[in-house]
Amino acid sequence: MPVSGKHAAGQGRALRALVLACALLVSLLIAPPALALTTNKATARPNEDGGHNVIGGLPTRLTWEGTVDAGEQVVSVTLTLPGDGTFEDASVKVTVLDGLDRVPIGVASASAEGDSITVAFSEPIPAGSLLRLELEDTHLPSEGGAVSVTGSYATAAGATVELEASEPIAVIANTWLQQAVAALDASPAVQAWNSNQFLGMFFKPQLMLTSLFSLFPGWLVCLAIVLAAYPFAIALGLLFALMKISHNPLLRAISVVYINILRGTPLFLQIYIMFFGLPMLGIVIDNNVLGVAVMAINSSAYLAEIFRAGIQSIPQGQYEAAASLGMNRIQTMFTIILPQTVRRVIPTVTSDFITSYKDTSLLSSVGVMELMMFAKNATSVSGNITPYVTAALFYLVVTLPLIKVVGIIEKNLARSERGQGTRPGAKAKASQAHAGGGPSLEIAGSSHFEGADGEHSLPGGLLAPFVPAMPAASMQRGDGHGR
Amino acid sequence: MVGKRKAKLELPVVPPPLGAEEAARGAFAADRDLTSHHFVEGEHPIVRIEHLNKTFDGTTQVLRDVNLNVWPGEVVVVLGPSGSGKSTMLRCINLLEIPTAGHILIEDEEITGKGATDVNKLRRDVGMVFQSFNLFPHLTAKENVMIGQTKVLGKSKGEAEKEALIQLEAVGLLDRADYKPAALSGGQQQRVAIARAVAMHPNVILFDEPTSALDPELVRGVLDVMRDLAENSGMTMIIVTHEMGFARDVADRVVFMEDGVVVEQGRPEKVFDHPENQRTAEFLGSIE
Repeated sequence: MPVSGKHAAGQGRALRALVLACALLVSLLIAPPALALTTNKATARPNEDGGHNVIGGLPTRLTWEGTVDAGEQVVSVTLTLPGDGTFEDASVKVTVLDGLDRVPIGVASASAEGDSITVAFSEPIPAGSLLRLELEDTHLPSEGGAVSVTGSYATAAGATVELEASEPIAVIANTWLQQAVAALDASPAVQAWNSNQFLGMFFKPQLMLTSLFSLFPGWLVCLAIVLAAYPFAIALGLLFALMKISHNPLLRAISVVYINILRGTPLFLQIYIMFFGLPMLGIVIDNNVLGVAVMAINSSAYLAEIFRAGIQSIPQGQYEAAASLGMNRIQTMFTIILPQTVRRVIPTVTSDFITSYKDTSLLSSVGVMELMMFAKNATSVSGNITPYVTAALFYLVVTLPLIKVVGIIEKNLARSERGQGTRPGAKAKASQAHAGGGPSLEIAGSSHFEGADGEHSLPGGLLAPFVPAMPAASMQRGDGHGR
Repeated sequence: MVGKRKAKLELPVVPPPLGAEEAARGAFAADRDLTSHHFVEGEHPIVRIEHLNKTFDGTTQVLRDVNLNVWPGEVVVVLGPSGSGKSTMLRCINLLEIPTAGHILIEDEEITGKGATDVNKLRRDVGMVFQSFNLFPHLTAKENVMIGQTKVLGKSKGEAEKEALIQLEAVGLLDRADYKPAALSGGQQQRVAIARAVAMHPNVILFDEPTSALDPELVRGVLDVMRDLAENSGMTMIIVTHEMGFARDVADRVVFMEDGVVVEQGRPEKVFDHPENQRTAEFLGSIE
């Protein structure tokens, strides 16, 4: 506005008020000669497989309702869709209600032409009655969006009047996925498959396809949680493992309590305590972050035991060899023992990783939007188990390769410790004598000195309590029930 | 219960260690006829073991009042049946076993009853070669020889590597420098272990049955390396072994132990050909 100062501003306001008043007046004066047919609503039946959405480009039933005003009779109605929407005139149903009474008026003719359809009635529809049109096989625009139905009607007096646009219908774009589902829907083979109660309930192809996409974000969350948690779990686990074999009784006690409590209670319970307990203390942390924290803490207890057993599985001879070179306890641990431990525990740690990855599913119980949560939602919407089966596929696609990897590593590890294949010129007997019972070979060797049926204690607090073989039972978590 | 448990042994009371000069004079007089190693009056033994006692669990006495002097450059071979305490005595010298009573002095310094730091310092001067090699399986042969030099002696990688290659060449394994222990035969592993000990340039190297875990055809290579070390390096060596031929050839002195006691010691030809002790004679007879 090319004015300035308080005075000018006041003038502008007055001007606007005047314009508004004039517009109101004009609109009253030139209003059309009464909208005789008032659009009440237009709705479309959901056509999403297992969902409640309306998808464009796929057949649906459009229901349109209007009320005929007093003083007019309607002989035909024309409805029009935007975009590439189309009507089908083969199956059109008319319902006319006068108050609560049904008026016997039917369809005289219905002709669809591309994006519009004209329905003529067998008798003029009397004033004041409710008109409902149900149009089967209507295709709403495939690009989706908010779709309003427009059109016009003809009165008994011969006038043609525009209809007001309906409230918009929310339509989902028809993607290639929807088209694929539609193709599956139409396929006789799929129909036959689904007619089997078991196959249809657990392996419905349409749902399998859609849930593959709808569960994907949940799968990413699962991976993100476990991948974020695991480095912390490893660091914490190593810390508590070293504390547990320490010579300081306080550190040992702290570690034992930590490990035993976490291994002795279910992860499910730990999740509840953290997720419901912390908010009670006024500590509000993002669900995903808290999920990472719970998984890291829980896993660290198992990893601590794995690392401890791994460390203690290193033959005493390694400590003695390091000691005889003059290495101190820390040098021995970090340059001799831990590097060997890492190789030995990789299979067990990988198994633990698999368990942790699966156990992220428990976080769904406290509302973390991970894979299980998405699967639950998809199942409760569709009433079909197939999304759960899809979730299983998402878990397996990670766990199966890892299980395979564990197997390969274990095989390689056994081979490298025995020196099979790579050792030149070794006689079978030599490798037997040397390899003995696999990894515990050197233990057998080092305990062979005479008079050594007692314990071999190392001076300077060098030796942690030594267990010759990794106690397998304490390293594996079982099948997850124990958590 | 009580009947099954062995009675606790009483700790033997031993006199304090002798003074350096007094000990040296005594050892000189005592050992002159026991070893073919040449040492001169006024020289001090490099290792002195006085009244060494070792008890396991307080019930099983493994060593009883063992006394032994080892002179610089001397090669001492310890013989004896299994369970006679040979290895335990050896392991006491670098404190892999803690003596229950008695004294061990290295270069006239008592090592028993010391803190961890001093123990680590002691051990870098006392090398050890184990029956089961105890190479570090995650390191190559070269790295096995380097790691003590870099971590303990504080040498640079380059220096340590140079030394490692020299020592590997000395044991005939230069071409195996980059092999991991699993890719080496037992004999080769033991030779790497010897190189690892020698590379620290210790005052004395302890060999704990170095060929016992080896196949017969691999023993020779290891013994040759030890023989070379004994004859050409002037290294002080204490060797526990069952290789009689090697003992006779290489040893300056043979020590025969039984039941935790030094039964007989002397020059190899004396002990092997004219053993004074009945048990020594029986043992040598049974072995050969």
